[in-house]
Amino acid sequence: MNKEIFVELRNVRKTFGEVVALDNVNFSVRKGEIRGLLGENGAGKSTLMNILYGLYRPDKGQIFIEGKEVKIRSPFDSIKLGIGMVHQVSTLVPEFTAVENIMLGTPEDKFTLPLKKESNRIKKMAEELGFEFPLNVKVRELSAGVKQKIEIVRALYRGAKLLILDEPTTSLVESEFQQLLKSLKMLVKKGVTVIFITHKIREVMEACDSVTVLRRGKVQGTLERNEMSKENLVKLMFMEKEIKVNESALPKVELPEVEKSKEPVCIVKSIEVEASEKTPGLKNVSFEVYGGEIFGIASVSGNGEKELAEAMIKPSILKSGDIIINGESIKGLPTLKVFSKGVFYTPEDRIKEGILPDGSIKENVLLGHHAEKRFLKRNVFIDWNEVKRVSERVVRDYNVFTPNVEIAIRKLSGGNIQKVIIGRAFVNPIDFLVTHNPTSGLDISTVEFIFKKLVEIRGKGGAILWINEDLDELMILSDRIGVIHKGELKGIFNRDEFDKYKIGLLMIGG
Amino acid sequence: MSEKKDKKILGSFLRNISAYLIAILLAFGVFSILVALMGFDVFKALRTLTTTSFKSYFGFQETVKKTIPLIFTTYAFNIPFMIKFFNIGGWGQMLMGGAVATVVGLSLAPLNLPAIVLIPLLLISGILAGGLFALIAGYLKAKHDINPIISTIMLNFVAALFVNFVATAPPFKDPLEGHPITKPLPKSATLPFIGGIPSSIIFAILAIIFVYILIKKTRLGYEITAVGYNLFAAQTYGINFAKTIMLTFFIGGALAGLGGALEIMTIHGKLIEGFAKTSGAQYGIFGVLTCLIVGGNPIGVPIAAFLMSVLLVGADALQRTMQIPVELVFLSQALIVLFIVVIRKKFSVRR
Repeated sequence: MNKEIFVELRNVRKTFGEVVALDNVNFSVRKGEIRGLLGENGAGKSTLMNILYGLYRPDKGQIFIEGKEVKIRSPFDSIKLGIGMVHQVSTLVPEFTAVENIMLGTPEDKFTLPLKKESNRIKKMAEELGFEFPLNVKVRELSAGVKQKIEIVRALYRGAKLLILDEPTTSLVESEFQQLLKSLKMLVKKGVTVIFITHKIREVMEACDSVTVLRRGKVQGTLERNEMSKENLVKLMFMEKEIKVNESALPKVELPEVEKSKEPVCIVKSIEVEASEKTPGLKNVSFEVYGGEIFGIASVSGNGEKELAEAMIKPSILKSGDIIINGESIKGLPTLKVFSKGVFYTPEDRIKEGILPDGSIKENVLLGHHAEKRFLKRNVFIDWNEVKRVSERVVRDYNVFTPNVEIAIRKLSGGNIQKVIIGRAFVNPIDFLVTHNPTSGLDISTVEFIFKKLVEIRGKGGAILWINEDLDELMILSDRIGVIHKGELKGIFNRDEFDKYKIGLLMIGG
Repeated sequence: MSEKKDKKILGSFLRNISAYLIAILLAFGVFSILVALMGFDVFKALRTLTTTSFKSYFGFQETVKKTIPLIFTTYAFNIPFMIKFFNIGGWGQMLMGGAVATVVGLSLAPLNLPAIVLIPLLLISGILAGGLFALIAGYLKAKHDINPIISTIMLNFVAALFVNFVATAPPFKDPLEGHPITKPLPKSATLPFIGGIPSSIIFAILAIIFVYILIKKTRLGYEITAVGYNLFAAQTYGINFAKTIMLTFFIGGALAGLGGALEIMTIHGKLIEGFAKTSGAQYGIFGVLTCLIVGGNPIGVPIAAFLMSVLLVGADALQRTMQIPVELVFLSQALIVLFIVVIRKKFSVRR
């Protein structure tokens, strides 16, 4: 390959307060290639691309496009230079249709929108990429995968010659990922350059022509397709750490034989949750989870898995059916009462639902335990000394990297925040853990740590309901996997029946 | 490490102080320009504004007199504000507290109860009246999702009319007064001045301690703080949002109601239409401003309330001695808040 360079970043440095996010980064991409940008969380991938897109300003450094130095002060500048970015989370206006979203803020967005004329053009653009999506349906009714396609078309409609995809696979299932790959190949043929940000080695191996690996704000190296191997990439990503990985480049954790409890710890009896605009709710879902078992739930986001998690700790949302914990019905109980039966929960969105960002680690560990006798004096006052003692134990047992427990939790990294959230679940001995996407977006060493914790709890006879977006992960650790699609439990697989394609097919209703 | 931490704390402290100083200087700058444009002596005006409270004992007494009700209305706003709700009804809750305390005091007057019974009784009725009155707004938010800004503003009118009703009702009205004013409370229902300072200051101090303990030490305080930090997480982990809303409004209103009862029992000795005002403006609004100055931090409230009162006393003096309208001082107080809010945002934005 000897193509000309499309974009080049030279000596880019960016600091946030005392944290050096990018340290003298040099990065260049050739015209018409798919370049992977690989690294753990916090390695600086998104920061680097946000600089290129104009969302952040670098402390120093230069940007060249097709050999000419450019100044990018805002996304307005970068769009004019032919840079488009598709963010991890949809930035479409939910109440607008695809066409309205695509035209929003473009020169065509005049006093009135020439919707008809432009929708033909948009339709053609989409078809050329093999995309099919409804042009005149409100975006909020569409799935994450479809929204992503709309965002890609939007970038191209605005004349993007370089497309940055930030962790595009977060909410895609296997087949959608394959489809995305095909479209990207098509784009590249048309001369568009793609930068593909990810923390998953497997995706780089499948998707990219070359890859640049970042670690702690520094470029560790750039490999061409023929130099890429799992071992090389793991080494570049983690350097000093020795982590065993499986064929999907996930941490390898053994699942030892454990005797299951005779009686199930949790029985879910044909529960129903009301459907709404955003969710299909739950329809007649029944299963059991035994002690010493990890029961995985596989589903595409938005198919009722969130309601399932919620119903376990907030059974008042149930329309009918029952949930039995250790032989007792928890129907209608408030969350704190459910917790007192030996249940705890780690939510899907760790920042939004899991923590009090400005609260100290202490205040965060207390959350959910704040009505327990051990943390109260005379039932009214909080025993902050006890809270501190327990928080320090959590920090120690869960390797939370922090100087003390008084620090605001938002100052910790995502992995450390998740460790606090999981540590909080085990402040008391519990029988049943409901955990939703505990490893999402975390670096491989933290994922390994969390995997080991789950296995440890299982080994002690605990029951775990593990709802997870990543099927590869579920297959490593689950004893059984239940598949939920459109609010219905479509099937339960035993460990010896695990088959990625069979399960994946059920997940999308096939 | 600890030295570095000390430095950091000092750094953020200096940053905070300088934010306040800059805001105050900017506001005084605008004030000075306007004063100059109107043809007054700028330096004399600034001196009068800032030093009247400290030049004479009388000025200081006046300042304390304004600080006490202001502390109560500031907390009335502050506690619901901790969970991001605006209680604009501090004034109305204060009026209800004063009015109901007066009704109780006047109704019991024929029984000739001793002070030790009557005073706690009036205080408690003020607390309950303010608390329950605010609870209406809290309940409407919790159960029917009615915006408390709207409901509390509306309820202010209800309270003002209720005061008018009590002050003109035949059993209470003072027949000798032309204005709606009630008969005086029995002596055993009033609180004295001690050395020119109203003894209600004791209750203001108790309120400060109460709020501190509530927020920092109790389970309810923790729940309020948690909801304020992140509603979704608090709910996920079992904190009852509806209950928290209602309790914060009740506590805020109860403090305002106590403040209202104390105003009647200490300053006026009877219910007067349009009490709980200073220089013609309600204490409720100044409570909102004071709370915003300290950024919703309940510990800073007494200091900010005192400084606010210094300006209010200065404003009265300006009007009296230089004929500069008090509104000009209100303007600069509002500007201080605006500048502080803007500057604080600027400092906290990192990117």
